[in-house]
Amino acid sequence: MYRYIIRRILLLIPIIIAVSFVVYFIVDLAPGDEIDAIYGNELSAERKDELREELGYNDPLVVRYARYMGNVLKGDMGTSTFFHKPVMELYFNRFPATLQLAFWGILVALLIAIPLGITAAIHQNTLIDTSSTVLGLWGMSMPSFWFGLMLIILFALKIGWLPPFGNEGWSSIILPALTVGVEQAALLIRTTRSSMLEVIRQDYLRTARAKGVNERRVIYHHALRNALIPIITAAGIHLGVALGGSIVVESVFAWPGVGKLTIDAFYFRDTTLVVGCLILTTAFSSVLMMVVDIIYAFVDPRIKARYTR
Amino acid sequence: MAGKMKLKNKDSSFWGEVAKEFKKNKGAMIGLVVFSLVIIAAILALFVLDYKTQITKLKLAEALQPASWKHLFGTDQFGRDIFYRILYGAHYSLLIGVCAVTISTVVGSVLGILAGYLGGIIENIIMRIMDILSPIPTVLLAITIAAAFGQSLTSLMIAVGVISVPSFARVARAAVMTVRDQEYIEAAKSQGASELQIIVSHVIPNSLPPIMVQATMRVASAIISASALSFLGLGVPAPNPEWGGMLSEGRNFISTNTNMTFFPGIAIMITVLSVNLIGDGVRDAMDPRLKR
Repeated sequence: MYRYIIRRILLLIPIIIAVSFVVYFIVDLAPGDEIDAIYGNELSAERKDELREELGYNDPLVVRYARYMGNVLKGDMGTSTFFHKPVMELYFNRFPATLQLAFWGILVALLIAIPLGITAAIHQNTLIDTSSTVLGLWGMSMPSFWFGLMLIILFALKIGWLPPFGNEGWSSIILPALTVGVEQAALLIRTTRSSMLEVIRQDYLRTARAKGVNERRVIYHHALRNALIPIITAAGIHLGVALGGSIVVESVFAWPGVGKLTIDAFYFRDTTLVVGCLILTTAFSSVLMMVVDIIYAFVDPRIKARYTR
Repeated sequence: MAGKMKLKNKDSSFWGEVAKEFKKNKGAMIGLVVFSLVIIAAILALFVLDYKTQITKLKLAEALQPASWKHLFGTDQFGRDIFYRILYGAHYSLLIGVCAVTISTVVGSVLGILAGYLGGIIENIIMRIMDILSPIPTVLLAITIAAAFGQSLTSLMIAVGVISVPSFARVARAAVMTVRDQEYIEAAKSQGASELQIIVSHVIPNSLPPIMVQATMRVASAIISASALSFLGLGVPAPNPEWGGMLSEGRNFISTNTNMTFFPGIAIMITVLSVNLIGDGVRDAMDPRLKR
């Protein structure tokens, strides 16, 4: 088991290096650089070129990337040209808010999707099943930013129960979490339903019923346990998606997380911050995927067995 | 296995069967009708509506009017008719959805087919690159691309297209791997067919169904991603009436005028829902195993 965990952790290193290089490379293609961003018209073109030479902006891409990553290992991702603060500090100040939103969002999603998916699977091909499928499709087809704005209009502006923007206490999380939750639930309903359907047909459930185990126990104890494996995986992936993709929801609700920071950095043409945010967020979602894989191995004895042998 | 063999032997009957299955699916047919209507509306709007006078011209005297017979969905902050703008904007979403998915289908399938068929080092290189691309969250990758190539319709298409390349590569590779070891490939080889011949005339047609299912499904998510990016200001620049962009403009007026946000969202939802319904139908028709 430990071998498996160590292997997964080691695998993470090349992925993070490669991803950061791709991000660094693509952003590097953009016209203009930090010297332009900071000094703009203040300095003459010649002076700016001198500065570039001095600060190593003219070095080959790989050299600059290596230098950058060397600094990253020392905990330095550069300084934001817009906020005039270290990138790491800015990012980690915002990180808890994003984590909070992703967590509550996924919780909402699971609370909607698991009961709905199970009910749909138990009553396969009935009206209940069809309605939950339609509901899921509708949720999948609905842009989250639109749903978020509709929630703001209804609950914040018309009824006035909840704050529309920002993060001012516990009530602020409700609308953003609902938005993330409904979006993710739509996909999770499908996973839950199909995973449940697969398990329901298995022989051991028939055996359990034949032994006189009551239906409730058959479903919740025997079936759900095994059906949960793909659901957990999916939820983990969704958590990763929510971490990285919360940009849209964060920008709708002006939620002060890393997604909002990333898009603001983009608006302000703050390349250092953009690169930092992209690399850190991608690294976090890769770590999350790894954790999901490891949990998956723990939950499924079949996977565990393969590596303990 | 039986399906694959049938596909090989009686090509026309496989597609006939798929069409028959698809027609039986009520949801898919509704989706097809609605999507066709959206396409027709989008094309008609391009010919009937005048871009300069009806779509972008400012009529400040008529700003922010409620819905009426004259302006079906009301007007926006510049007095432009929201209904006309939504109709005119339909072609952006359709174009981006279709072009982006074409990019990812072609690139992803070619890579996946090569990886699956050739195996070895090439497969390893291709699939590792896909592994590197896939953990980058969708919107982040799009921001990266938009940051590099600037804000335009093309970079939006590329961004949305690149996002789903890895999943196409995976689907195509998996499909090829099930086809690769079939006896008819061996038979073709023994008859002296070249690698390219085998790929073009046997591997590609036989791996097509799962790729097509994936492609239909992806059009829906591509339309949503594209409108999300426009909503963030990374997509089609104003004053063009792209739905996500219209929603974003409407955000500034949500306390006084909800038409500006409500209707573009409904337009996105109807279009995407119809594509999703078609996608489900195509999937059920092509892969009977996945059927409920």
